[in-house]
Amino acid sequence: MSVTRVLAIGGFALVAVLVAVVEWVARRENSRVPTLGELCGFVMEYRAGNVPVGRIALYGFWWWLGWHFFAR
Amino acid sequence: MSQPTDLATDPVRPWTRPAVLVPVFAVLALVGGFFPSFSIEANLYMIALGGVFAWLGLSGRVPRRPPAPVGRGAAWWLVPALLLAGVELVDFLLGSTDAHPTLSLLADPVLDRYVARAAGYFGWLTVFWGLVRR
Repeated sequence: MSVTRVLAIGGFALVAVLVAVVEWVARRENSRVPTLGELCGFVMEYRAGNVPVGRIALYGFWWWLGWHFFAR
Repeated sequence: MSQPTDLATDPVRPWTRPAVLVPVFAVLALVGGFFPSFSIEANLYMIALGGVFAWLGLSGRVPRRPPAPVGRGAAWWLVPALLLAGVELVDFLLGSTDAHPTLSLLADPVLDRYVARAAGYFGWLTVFWGLVRR
């Protein structure tokens, strides 16, 4: 296994650890950090006029991610 | 003061309870696990599932949780987000090879196995449902 591959896998693993740590901090009492779910909810509240741009963007991203991993 | 039109207020939807949805998602995931990548079945299945979830979310037919206030603390989420974007972008620009694998390249051999694929489907469905409820 090459060094660059190990670095890449380590980078992704570090991302997973950081997500878990930030989420854990967010779930502590009186935390100023929102949970990932709360952040998504905030983004999805964004509208341009009557168009729920934030909601469409997040649904579209998640839909694409599923297609990318399971169908493409 | 008018209420947002897409914010459902009726919390009584028996079919949205976990006791109903978890088995439904499990069956959908077990079925989805059978469809290999690049197949027409997998594409049609993904279009159908995503379409239903997007329709449920955008039509306001599912009760949503009230949004929580988000302050500057949200910036902490930039740390993993930027690291993920950086690693993914570098590996992508270097060709997404065995030496420089992107996340999808690493996931492909895992998702080739039925159990992992079905579990991945279940996670994807659960998160999508979480977004619909927000």
